Amino acid sequence: MAEISSPLQDFSADSRSGFAIRKATLYSVLSWLAPLLLLCLWEAASQLGLIASQVMPAPSRVAETGWQLAITGELFVHLGASLLRATAGFAIGGSIGFALGVAVGFSPLAHALLDRSIQMIRAIPFLAMLPLVIVWFGVDEGGKIFLVSLAVLFPIYINTVLGVRQIDPKLMELAKVTGMNWPAIVRRIILPGAMPSILTGVRYALAHAWLALVIAETLATTKGIGFLAMDAREFLQTDVILLTIIIYSVIGVGADALARLLETRLLGWHPNFAKGAR
Amino acid sequence: MNKLVNIAKSIAINAPAESDPFLNVPLAVSVSGLERRYGERLVIKSLDITIRKGEFVALLGESGCGKTTLLRALAGLDAPDAGRIEAPGRPAVVFQEHRLLPWASVWENVALGNEKAIGKDGASRALGEVGLAGREDDWPRNLSGGQAQRVALARALVRDPKLLLLDEPFAALDALTRIKMHVLVRELVSRHRPGVLIVTHDVDEAVVLADRILVMRSGQIAASYRPAEHAPGELRPLLLDELGVTTH
Repeated sequence: MAEISSPLQDFSADSRSGFAIRKATLYSVLSWLAPLLLLCLWEAASQLGLIASQVMPAPSRVAETGWQLAITGELFVHLGASLLRATAGFAIGGSIGFALGVAVGFSPLAHALLDRSIQMIRAIPFLAMLPLVIVWFGVDEGGKIFLVSLAVLFPIYINTVLGVRQIDPKLMELAKVTGMNWPAIVRRIILPGAMPSILTGVRYALAHAWLALVIAETLATTKGIGFLAMDAREFLQTDVILLTIIIYSVIGVGADALARLLETRLLGWHPNFAKGAR
Repeated sequence: MNKLVNIAKSIAINAPAESDPFLNVPLAVSVSGLERRYGERLVIKSLDITIRKGEFVALLGESGCGKTTLLRALAGLDAPDAGRIEAPGRPAVVFQEHRLLPWASVWENVALGNEKAIGKDGASRALGEVGLAGREDDWPRNLSGGQAQRVALARALVRDPKLLLLDEPFAALDALTRIKMHVLVRELVSRHRPGVLIVTHDVDEAVVLADRILVMRSGQIAASYRPAEHAPGELRPLLLDELGVTTH
């Protein structure tokens, strides 16, 4: 009995899992169908003159404009300027937010001294600071980086505090018993223990940084993706405007993918994040 | 000089000198006049204990008698209100839970806080001693409860402590694993010869493991037994009686 039934079961299980894989591929192909169809419709409508090219240029026009800007190298100058601002702002705001988060998460004294003030500043929509930022920094790089830093600081701060608070006090006892010094405790226990929460903060911070960058770059500038868009507006170059919007969105998606890559790399130990773990 | 006087005093209190096989062995820890209070309640009352290197001491007592507080004081996790604790070097502790860092590999957990001095080789040797050779690069989540507790034991012993504190380390393990762990711990202690204080609820565990069994009651050492001086089976009812469990 058992000899007959077991190969049969194997067979049915195999065929079912094979079908499941094919179904998954099918669905992932299908998910691209709607956007592609929309793109084709848009292209066709533009070619037939149903949409005015000044309102909405054809996708092929946008692609061509992108290509031209890339060939002249202009695109990369602006892209580089934008990425530099985003990176610098993220590094500054992120480190301050992390340092404050660790201090406040750990020390009741630091919490008493700092948390209320930080929460008060956090309540200000950072875009409301714009006029003040211009007065302080002028319209130079400093102001733009400041704005991005400010946008990044709070999500990182809040999630770091949360992550540090969630660390098992029993592990802190262990640190004491094994005689670890403070730098070692931060590196071996606090940082990895708070990492899941910190990375959530990083993903929020990336979204905020991007928003801040878009606003900051509409201030008087001569370089950056935002400048490209503002400049194009002056000359009604809708294709360039559309191109900058697409670039912003591509970089946003890329940044999120990077954050997710960090999660799988740094949280390999975590059962909820580990790939293939059961 | 003062230290010698103290030691002599505590020996006199703890046990008659002629029956102590650890008489001339160096000290692992000496506690005198220890007191700890939580609010109004005195959890430990003028307590004295001496443990020598290689001596295995079990501390039995009902819940809330202060035995865990005593262990935490010896571990430096709890500050006593009065008294003295003299111990050469830092004691190592194995807790009831393994307390392994889930984000560090097994060998990093063993060498924790001392990675450079111990190194992967040192951690490997310690893992070999607890029967986990070859598991250096595994994650803690892939270990069973017993294996995780072995790693915790390796983490304690790799530091070559003069005093090893065990806080109900086998309470969460199944009966068979517990017996295996008893054998392993005895073997490791007789090889490394630290002084050991194990806090436990389990009378049989105390009888199997210990050279000396202390019964703690309302913050004081109420009785002291040496299993070697008793016939097999004689000690168990005695200890249960001390703990307020009647067996007839």
